[in-house]
Amino acid sequence: MSISVTGLTKSYGSNTVLDGLDLAVEEGSFTVMCGPTGSGKSVLLRLLVGLEAPDAGSMTLNGVDITSTRAAERAVGYVPQSFALYPHLSVKANIGYPLKLAKRPSSEIAKRVDWAAGVLAITHLLDKTPDQLSGGEKQRTAVARGLLKETDIFLLDDPLVGLDYKLRERLMDELKSIQQDLKATFLYTTSDSLEALTMAEKLMVLDNGAVIQKGDVFDVYRSPAHRRAMELVGFPKANVLPVLRDGGAVQAGPFKLDSAPEGAAFVGLRPEALQITETADGLSTKAQVQLIEELGGEEVVYLQAVGHGLTMALAGDGANGTAEGDDVVVRVDPTAFVFFDGDTGNRLAADTHVKAAAQ
Amino acid sequence: MSDRFRRGAYYTLLWSVSLLFFTPVAWIIMSSFKTREEILATPPTLIFTPTLDNYIELFTQNQNFLQQLGNSVVMSLSAVVIAVLVSFLAAFCFSRFKPKGTNFLMFILLSIRMLPGPAVILPVFLMFANFGWKDQHIPLVLFYAMFSIPFSVWILKGFLDGVSVRFDETGLANGGSWFHVIFKVVLPQVKPGLIAAFIFNLIFVWNEFLFNFVIGGVQTQNIPYALAVGTYSDGGLNWTFIAALTSIYILPPVAFIYLFQKYLLAGMTFGTVRGEV
Repeated sequence: MSISVTGLTKSYGSNTVLDGLDLAVEEGSFTVMCGPTGSGKSVLLRLLVGLEAPDAGSMTLNGVDITSTRAAERAVGYVPQSFALYPHLSVKANIGYPLKLAKRPSSEIAKRVDWAAGVLAITHLLDKTPDQLSGGEKQRTAVARGLLKETDIFLLDDPLVGLDYKLRERLMDELKSIQQDLKATFLYTTSDSLEALTMAEKLMVLDNGAVIQKGDVFDVYRSPAHRRAMELVGFPKANVLPVLRDGGAVQAGPFKLDSAPEGAAFVGLRPEALQITETADGLSTKAQVQLIEELGGEEVVYLQAVGHGLTMALAGDGANGTAEGDDVVVRVDPTAFVFFDGDTGNRLAADTHVKAAAQ
Repeated sequence: MSDRFRRGAYYTLLWSVSLLFFTPVAWIIMSSFKTREEILATPPTLIFTPTLDNYIELFTQNQNFLQQLGNSVVMSLSAVVIAVLVSFLAAFCFSRFKPKGTNFLMFILLSIRMLPGPAVILPVFLMFANFGWKDQHIPLVLFYAMFSIPFSVWILKGFLDGVSVRFDETGLANGGSWFHVIFKVVLPQVKPGLIAAFIFNLIFVWNEFLFNFVIGGVQTQNIPYALAVGTYSDGGLNWTFIAALTSIYILPPVAFIYLFQKYLLAGMTFGTVRGEV
């Protein structure tokens, strides 16, 4: 394992950010850690870089315990969320900074800076100073600087946050190909689930200072192990509805089912599991269209169904002929129901096939 | 039209006030190029043949002058360099490590400067006399440095608070030592603050008379001391001496302030006005 963390705990006053966190990042993988703001992503990276000390627990890099090693002696490349480019140095000097500190000869520094600047397409900016750069250019400079650290482990703290969409898409591709070229381990944090799905090989979902699910990105998306994992990963956001029992019948949001696993308190439905249908049956509900978002290739429809908000993703653009304010009937794919425990939030043994309650 | 008039009136007023304040300075500088008779003439002579005699006399006849000038220059510069270096490190600690009671400590620090000199002169004199530090350069320089530190810490803390801790972290994460972070990462970014602190204290030490007079002595006389003591040395008021020495005396601060006025503004606002610097 490239990075491994055991029992890592960090509190600020009474606020426990990380509580006995365990995780492992495979060598040479592009691992994305996805979690909402305040889930402890940045704190974890800061602990790994050595900018802060943990209250308890241990960390190893490439099998070497670094828990009490000084930041300067840890071999990790770090791209902070804030660019932190030195305003008194040129872009060139900023990028070459890690090598300069490592006392490399200037010819080698120049060569590596040219390489990094080339990869990130900022060669034409090398002689400028940071205050002459746009946000995206600053970000690419910061990434270039992070990459010049002589190591095979790189930590990137939400480096694309706040950039415009087009630039983000391009940088996502660039970062992935850089990682493949370097054959290095990348641990990348983001709060944007679309970014996580686009970039990840391995995905970890962090919530409230604990990893609630990890695995191949496809598995995490297809079979969320925890209610929060389902909510946090995926765009548009998954529908998570309360499960109520009324005698034998089960009311899962607006849908009436014949059964649900013992202890199920929530049911999750991916937006693409919903469809507009003509014929009403037990797995359908009446709903009113509140808002339609055109995304080009797909259409996100926000519905109100018997007091429950539903999000539906439809392929195609505007092809469904619905308009805001329309009353429609929405049917759900019976294999799509995912049940979660009320106390732990863990996924319950899947009833792969859910039937509608008898009418 | 009325706009132009108002503008004109505005500038006329500003210029007249400025000139009014500048009159004594102009008078003393003009006097330094006059003979004793011309200085004392009524009505004052505005048209006269300038003479350098006063300066020549000051440099050649006055045995103490060069030593006094040297003392002023050397003691001011060394005291201020020490003060700014110490203050920078102290302000860095206050700004970055925020020890418990930082605000209170900062207040205590500044309160040293709230005391008027005469309030502390007696104990300081007794201390200097008993330790045998009277009339010695190094103790006096250190005393001036001590007196300059509080204000410098305040100025520099304002500037350092404006430099994001993220810069420090980038330095540390890339293998830099604290020494590297302090002097190579942070210091270049607070240059305006350093210059502001430098000039403020330079002016203070350059103008310092009381402590030089009481805890200094023959060896450490500076220009304010020379001015005060030399004025009556001939019996009457020695106007040619006063005029020539004053003209030389005001030259360095005026030059510094003119060259670095934008930093001075930033310094007076403790680094909160940053845009212009």
